[in-house]
Amino acid sequence: MHFAGAKGSISGLILNLQRRGFTVVGPSLSEGVVRLRELKGARDLASGVVDVQGSGSYALGGESSFLFASVNGPDSPKKYLHPAEVELSKFVDKGNGVELVSVFHSDRKYAFFGIRPCDLRGVEVMDRTMLMPGFEDPVYSTFRDDSIFIVVNCTRAGENCFCASMGTGPAAESGYDVAITELPENLLFSIPESNMGLFQGIELRAATEEELREGEEMVQHAREKMGRRISENDPARQMCAALDSKVWGKVSEKCLACGNCTMVCPTCFCNTIVDRTDLKDGSASRIRVWDSCLSKDFVYSAGGNPRQQRTARYRQFVMHKFAYWPDEFGTYGCVGCGRCITWCPVGIDITDTVNSVLKDQQGAAKSVEARPDV
Amino acid sequence: MSRQALSALTRGTVRGVRKETPDTFTLLLDLGDRRTPADFMPGQFNMLYVFGVGEVPISVASFRGEELLMHTVRSVGTVTNLLTRLRVGENLGVRGPFGRGWPIAEAEGKQLLVIAGGLGLPPLRPVIEEAVAKPGRFAEVKVLYGARTPADLIFTDEYSGWQAADGCNLLLTVDRGGGDWKGNVGVVTTLFPKAGIDPGRAIAFVCGPELMLKFTILELMKMGVPAGRIFISLERNMSCASGTCGHCQLGPFLICRDGPVFSYTKVRDFFPREGV
Repeated sequence: MHFAGAKGSISGLILNLQRRGFTVVGPSLSEGVVRLRELKGARDLASGVVDVQGSGSYALGGESSFLFASVNGPDSPKKYLHPAEVELSKFVDKGNGVELVSVFHSDRKYAFFGIRPCDLRGVEVMDRTMLMPGFEDPVYSTFRDDSIFIVVNCTRAGENCFCASMGTGPAAESGYDVAITELPENLLFSIPESNMGLFQGIELRAATEEELREGEEMVQHAREKMGRRISENDPARQMCAALDSKVWGKVSEKCLACGNCTMVCPTCFCNTIVDRTDLKDGSASRIRVWDSCLSKDFVYSAGGNPRQQRTARYRQFVMHKFAYWPDEFGTYGCVGCGRCITWCPVGIDITDTVNSVLKDQQGAAKSVEARPDV
Repeated sequence: MSRQALSALTRGTVRGVRKETPDTFTLLLDLGDRRTPADFMPGQFNMLYVFGVGEVPISVASFRGEELLMHTVRSVGTVTNLLTRLRVGENLGVRGPFGRGWPIAEAEGKQLLVIAGGLGLPPLRPVIEEAVAKPGRFAEVKVLYGARTPADLIFTDEYSGWQAADGCNLLLTVDRGGGDWKGNVGVVTTLFPKAGIDPGRAIAFVCGPELMLKFTILELMKMGVPAGRIFISLERNMSCASGTCGHCQLGPFLICRDGPVFSYTKVRDFFPREGV
């Protein structure tokens, strides 16, 4: 059902979520960056904050009368569903053998408030790996099962956004608990019947046709203004065939293999389990930390290092999103959020990379066609 | 297939340690939860945990008919070095089993080629023991095993038993001979012409270093063994063994989850291929 409400109604919504035991997480200003942080109330929202993003750059610029004026900052729901550091288990050696002291447990449940449609899709992508039947991750599933998503449709395209060409935005089609479209004067709420209880005590009325049309036009405007795109609709097969493209070498010459792209990516899940020992009580904790396929030792083993070259590691990052994930799950691993472009210290643009690989691949295919004897 | 949770751990008590070569040793383990080798399929692996240090993925070398779980380890890094110091009666953590094993049923009635290089033999040992225990299950079994030097050959006490088994044939080779070695010298593929391979009814289970796998596959295919009847066990860095850490990603596959044993048909677009 579609409803309209005053902009002030989000205060009541946040309060209702808190009363239901949710930790409400949303866009909030911190040291000049819009981060996803716990919101104590609507006051903590980065209301009216406009961000300006470029290849390798992020800045705040200007003000807006909109509550949800900024697009994606560096954080995605991954920060909470798949924490950067988490204790999986703890053991202690009491001299007569190692005993299990504790295993990961959490009662915390998150309401993601004001996240963008691409991030909701990002969660669904991460679900494929972390909730695969028989391989459910104990940490991710604990948080994910109880999470709810209050998504805000985009009416402004960020400079690095390309969700339209990935089919992941700028409006959320499904999977949300509440979807909001912000109009200049008020808010439109799309609320499944089962979630009406979240709006207890909040004054809503049926949205008018005119309001709905205005919302759609604003989303359409964002779609049309989106400056970046992947040139092909469904490039997975072409990408898969492009492992040997010379483009990888060229692009990765710039790459520092710092791993920033993988940290800010909403779907990158790679991690490593390390042991942390405590001399005081003789315990060892098994801690899981984020890791990155860009790291040199990520695939190192006794048999050698299959991705010794940076080119191979950068190619792995991109191919995982655009070739392997589609092959494995029938869905792309990239949701077009643009974070890896913004937070790359040397401004590598993944859309440039993919489009160049595709172009190179098409060129190679043509040159074979032109020589029928080959 | 049951899988042990990331946070779970079974206590393994060392009941025997056997030195195979100067840097390789075999651990015989008793599990605190009373599981036996029958609970671990040939080709699967366990994560062995040294308290406070870390885990390593090690293939299951025991056969279902045996009493103790067997792991053969080469000491090459921090965790494996510490594993070499374990003595009888001491404990370690065991998490597993993980992965898909050898398709033994598919090999029934066929000429089974068990091809191993170096430490590729342990995950194939239970397959060989299966053939020894149940003569006639496979039409024929050819074990082709290569190591760097005669001193690097492992499980040497078991060769006579394998050789004596009905329909079973063992061929050895070393990269560098020397001493009183009178056998074949050369990589494992140099044994192929002598092995009486029948490409029409052969099925190959192959495990060894990536380079050895590459040339074994090439040679088998050249002889006419179809890709669909070549099965390889792959090894990569592993941290979780549960399909969620990404270390063992190979193209669209996670080796811990989708392997470690793969039909070559399934992985041929991505293996062997530099940098994938």
